[in-house]
Amino acid sequence: MTDTFDVIIIGAGVIGNATAYYLARRGLKVAVLEKSDHIGGGASARNGGGVRQSGRHPAELPLAMYGVKNLWPNLSAELDLDVEYYRAGNLRLGKTGAHLDILAQLVQSAEAGGLDMRLIGAVEARGICPGLAEEVIGAGWCPSDGHANPLLVTLGYYRAARRLGARFISGAEVVELRKIRGRVAEVVTAEGEIRSAGRVVVAAGYESRKILSSVGLDVPMHPLQVECLVTEEAPPMFCQMLGTAMADFYGHQSRHGSFVFGGSHGYEAHAFYGQPLGTSIAASSVCRAIIGYLPALREIKIVRVWAGWLDECADHIPVIDNPAETPGLTVACGFSGHGFGIAPVVGILLAALATEETPVLDLSAFRYDRFRAQV
Amino acid sequence: MSSERTRDFGRYVAAADDDVIICRCEEVAKGEIRRAVRDGLFTVHEVRRLLRCGMGLCQGNTCARLVRGIIARELGVAADSLVEATGRAPARPLEMRVFAREQGL
Amino acid sequence: MTRYDLIVIGAGPAGLSAAAEAAGAGLRVAVFDENAKPGGQLFKQIHKFFGAKEHKAKIRGVKIGAELLAEAEKRGAEVFLNSPVAGLYKEREILVRRGEGVGHYKGDAIIVATGAQENMPAFAGWTLPGVMGAGAAQTLMHLHRVKPGKRVLMLGSGNVGLVVGFQLRQAGCELAAVLDAAPRIGGYGVHAAKLARTGVPFYLSHSIVRAWGTDKVTGVVAGEVDGGWNFIPGREKQFEVDTVCIAAGLAPATQLLKMAGCAMRAAGADWLPVCSAVGETSLPGVYAAGDVSGIEEASSAMIEGRLAGGAAARKLGFIGPDEYEERRQVLLAALASLREGMFAPQKRGQISAQTDEGIDLSQTLLRKGYLEEGEVGKYPGVKPAAGIHPVIECTQNIPCNPCRDACPQGCIKVTGGIAALPEYDDRAGCAGCGLCVAVCPGQAIFLLNEDAGDGLAEVTAPYEFLPLPQKGELGAALARSGEKLCPAEVVRVKLAPAFDRTALVTFRVPRDFAMRARFWQKEAAA
Repeated sequence: MTDTFDVIIIGAGVIGNATAYYLARRGLKVAVLEKSDHIGGGASARNGGGVRQSGRHPAELPLAMYGVKNLWPNLSAELDLDVEYYRAGNLRLGKTGAHLDILAQLVQSAEAGGLDMRLIGAVEARGICPGLAEEVIGAGWCPSDGHANPLLVTLGYYRAARRLGARFISGAEVVELRKIRGRVAEVVTAEGEIRSAGRVVVAAGYESRKILSSVGLDVPMHPLQVECLVTEEAPPMFCQMLGTAMADFYGHQSRHGSFVFGGSHGYEAHAFYGQPLGTSIAASSVCRAIIGYLPALREIKIVRVWAGWLDECADHIPVIDNPAETPGLTVACGFSGHGFGIAPVVGILLAALATEETPVLDLSAFRYDRFRAQV
Repeated sequence: MSSERTRDFGRYVAAADDDVIICRCEEVAKGEIRRAVRDGLFTVHEVRRLLRCGMGLCQGNTCARLVRGIIARELGVAADSLVEATGRAPARPLEMRVFAREQGL
Repeated sequence: MTRYDLIVIGAGPAGLSAAAEAAGAGLRVAVFDENAKPGGQLFKQIHKFFGAKEHKAKIRGVKIGAELLAEAEKRGAEVFLNSPVAGLYKEREILVRRGEGVGHYKGDAIIVATGAQENMPAFAGWTLPGVMGAGAAQTLMHLHRVKPGKRVLMLGSGNVGLVVGFQLRQAGCELAAVLDAAPRIGGYGVHAAKLARTGVPFYLSHSIVRAWGTDKVTGVVAGEVDGGWNFIPGREKQFEVDTVCIAAGLAPATQLLKMAGCAMRAAGADWLPVCSAVGETSLPGVYAAGDVSGIEEASSAMIEGRLAGGAAARKLGFIGPDEYEERRQVLLAALASLREGMFAPQKRGQISAQTDEGIDLSQTLLRKGYLEEGEVGKYPGVKPAAGIHPVIECTQNIPCNPCRDACPQGCIKVTGGIAALPEYDDRAGCAGCGLCVAVCPGQAIFLLNEDAGDGLAEVTAPYEFLPLPQKGELGAALARSGEKLCPAEVVRVKLAPAFDRTALVTFRVPRDFAMRARFWQKEAAA
């Protein structure tokens, strides 16, 4: 006998867990299958925690703004867990004229999407975040941006969905989706277990690609390995999310008092894929970038550096769709490194797609067939 | 091996040592870990991500085995069935300015 | 980026041995250690090691450390101190803190010999100052010359607890008791006996309920536990102590191996790297040696280090297959002999009732730390004899035989394997030189002259406390249990270079006490 569910979600990351939560809240019988032994062990637990609207692709901006307006403010209460959400603004720093040009473009793009973001001078920037380096000459400022704790959001959705009766099974690697009479209806794991569902949602990050191939779908994406680091705890210094025009680092100070920073050294696309192992060069290059903007952090100790990979889509925005050729299947992958901030709204959108309701936001930019030949 | 996360643990029975600190860096008590397990956090990684035990300055060098043991007992499994948390650089805390200064390249 | 043929992480027994072995084969070797002094735990091991000659038996750990360091450096290994390795990466690269920056170093092979860290049990009050690992207490005493406290409670009766307990006594601390939650003493009986005869009580099936104190520990409530390790109500005991030492076992310090992505496996409570017989991990060219690959004694760590060092030399083409194989077999045989006996790693958790010779093990030794007076005679090292003769109170099969090699008369036999109980062969005739007494790492050999005239007997016992007694000094003779038997006068104090600082103190007791008195205690100054 096979287990039968209304919806089976593949991937217990923040997107899968949020979707499970919103579906379970509707009273649906939901199962979440996770390949790893750990819930939320992939990019969901490894990202820098930005809840950012500024700097988004125009297609993603409405999702980010919807989340910040409607979902993030109540998330802690909803999940019965303080997810350490701060709506304290995002400062994107610049040191040169060229940097300010980049920032000006971002401001223009934000304004076009109706987001409150503006270019500010060095004095105002230092007023918002004392301790910025002398070299900072201006910044992009989006006061409604913020950050949250990605570990807590991911596990909070899991806990809440589980309390509502969603069944989670870890260590269950999905190797095949099966169509029955033209509709995706069965999920087969590596252990040979077959489970049936009225609807299957694939939200497995880069690993979605292999799973989708079993029903003839392919999303053009590649893994990109990035690294983050965390410091020892320190007294509160700033509560904004910080970034730079050059995107050489980003980060925030967590509720705990530690600073969480991410950044790049330029070789991310060439990292080995398959084991989230750090490199010997990433932390040093991120530390140099940070000290260049926040010299006061010179003496703080780094306690941990970690790596993870993101599912970088060819056009840098995700696929969120019920593809026409696979009735019964919902796809959510290719979040390209900015999935965490929109995870709650994507959860709501996927719950709508999974129940074949009209989503609250237009998802046409995220259609699966945007990469296909258009007849 | 697949692990079903829905489980009936029965009523929570408070233990006399529930308030004993297990992770001294982050001040996480035994009872918090026990409750987290009952809330579906079945692995060392998950508990540590929720409660921060093992994420402090010593990086779990002191409490790793204790945390593993408490989770195992709560789940009713042998401790050796639970994977230890991974190791992360730097093995000892390192000042940002030191990390930033690569020598002899 | 600096390249070496071999990078060794950790300058303890395994790391220095690996470096010496590989440098001897011509490899360019660098050893990195986070401490200011090399040697790892060896420089805290002021006691004499067990084993055979090839294991450096009867030599004190601290001296072995100095010898190993000299050997490695003489062969050209560079030892970098104050150099914590921050990261190990699968490309066989390490990131090391060097002064105010970090350096990248590449090894064609890497041997991780990072040792272990101490396990901590959690009880109420375990975070109070004054509660410390037994290893931490050793560091205070031997590296920093600081007494850890005045009155100490030791939790844990494995060899670490017993050895450090004795060292605390040597440093002038009082040892209130040794506790262990297990029903039997976990370490060597001879180590326990060393403590018991100085008057230290053992409480088996006991653990700490809580430590109390405001700014620091001032006392401990211990309780008796049942077979399920649960406290039995009403069986609490209080100890007023200012220090609690924890010797609850060690955990391999595997952070670097895990970080590099080496495959790991569960082995009981331990989480160990998957290794070949010579220590190669799942990452080709990355080896683990010593405690990091599984907790054992420093003696085994030294051999594991040499095995890994040799394997790296072979892999990198510095030695040929025949030379390697010959050396490997010698080392594997030495390692196998260390793993003989009832404390062998493969016998962990098993309970022997008898020695290999078929003699019942002393249950009093396992529970109280000393041999009953009535049972001493059943062991082959204890035979009544006229005149001066040794009494070898070695009653468990441990891999150790320096007593045999020490006796110039050939009085002592260890036959049928290194872990066999030593036998006193009275046909050869003891000359009373005392070498066996001085070399025994377990301090389990005594010389007896049961008829020293005037109805008195002379007992010669090993003595490692300062100040040494003076000839003619009056003290007390203590029984194996630490019980005070009678006043006893010191008639001889012997120190010879061959004794390596173990003094032989001969004291006189009434003849009836000859087979009972095993420790001479200085009378407290009035």
